[in-house]
Amino acid sequence: MELMINGGDTRGIISIDPRTKVLVFFASGIISLSNYTHTASTLFTVMLCALIALCGKPKTAIKAFLLFTLALYLRLILNQSQGAPAIIVTVITALSTVFMFSFPTVLSILLLVKTTRISHFISAFQAMHLPIKVIVPFAVFFRFLPTVSDEWNGIRKAMAFRGISLSPVQIICRPGKTIEYILIPMLFSSISVMEELAAASMARGLDVDIKRSSYEIVKMRFIDYMLIIIIIMMTGLSFFLGSLAKGGIAV
Amino acid sequence: MAKKEVANNSQKNDKKMRIKELIFAGAFGAIYIVIMLIVVMLFGTVPVLYLITPLPVGLVCATIYELCVLKVRKFGAALILGSLFAVTTSAGYLPGLLLALGVAVITELVLLAGKYKSKKIFLISYLVFNLNMVCPFSNLHFNRAGFLAMATEYYGPEYANGVASLATSWLPFAQIGLALLGAGIGVLIASKLIKKHFAKAGIV
Repeated sequence: MELMINGGDTRGIISIDPRTKVLVFFASGIISLSNYTHTASTLFTVMLCALIALCGKPKTAIKAFLLFTLALYLRLILNQSQGAPAIIVTVITALSTVFMFSFPTVLSILLLVKTTRISHFISAFQAMHLPIKVIVPFAVFFRFLPTVSDEWNGIRKAMAFRGISLSPVQIICRPGKTIEYILIPMLFSSISVMEELAAASMARGLDVDIKRSSYEIVKMRFIDYMLIIIIIMMTGLSFFLGSLAKGGIAV
Repeated sequence: MAKKEVANNSQKNDKKMRIKELIFAGAFGAIYIVIMLIVVMLFGTVPVLYLITPLPVGLVCATIYELCVLKVRKFGAALILGSLFAVTTSAGYLPGLLLALGVAVITELVLLAGKYKSKKIFLISYLVFNLNMVCPFSNLHFNRAGFLAMATEYYGPEYANGVASLATSWLPFAQIGLALLGAGIGVLIASKLIKKHFAKAGIV
């Protein structure tokens, strides 16, 4: 359990700089928030799937792509079928909306988490002369996301055996009990992971105030610049389509 | 000689965050965001409930926040937690991002006023911190036409009209009220739970 986002891009065809990946993450936030038409977000999602595949995680990419196609397909047939029962329409709309809305962000986090080594992440941002006190929390944040979701799944399953679930009704009616049974085990196990992580990184000398050297080669390559241009174009497209859509609706 | 230097060094930096605390803040940030997203997803599938999410998030996430600031007890924990929140939830919309960062700074100032000792200030600071749940909705307030166009695209015109009728000028105030209410109850639960579990285990 070294300071490592559980992944690497050693098997990938291309290798992207962590800084570009962070830019992709920000762009995904902008695109899903200014997403007045599906065109831009669909393009962006397809590009993200391709990137994840090229960076050496084809299985994840294919799974994500199939899921996205399914959600898109459901929305399309929903538009076609007018006489369907209202409840089914509502459920499918709600589910596919959550999917479509969160897909760009989730995929860009996956790209960052699954294909970046933490040492690469840290040295790339150190090359930008950011202080280590800013880099470390962000690096740990991204490293911890998969851990938290693992813990969450385990605890949720264990508690479901005993009939404790985290549903909206439960949260509002019995907040104390729900939080205690689900949050406390999770916090306890996460705290022990954090302490191990802190000990490991202190042993590696992250705590010293001297500038660290690294074996990682940090360099923005041609593909990074290409990607940045593509991202800027897509964000622009998203805004352009958005202004068209906004003009067409009278509020 | 070398020993003396090390001792001096650690004393000098006692008030600043060391690597251990930075790791704690980052990791608690991850827990906070994941739990927050889970709660928002649970409520987000029901369209109108989406607008009241500051309440349940305050209820559930208060414990995580309190544990984080109580464990670190130095300048910066709330700031890091708040910045992580701002960057992950409101990065797509600049006014929202600035508001959320502002909330993080104010929280840290509240904590600073308590000199990281007073337990009451630790608890009260969450009331400020939870206001950041309102910031992602600033899109709805400042960019109303855009938000409604998006709602139409995603959910259809009926839903957009429903949101439009709810999203009057008092909505931000109602959400701030809900955020304060949720945080208030959440803090009570948090202080009970921390006393019952974490203080006993010697973690805080």
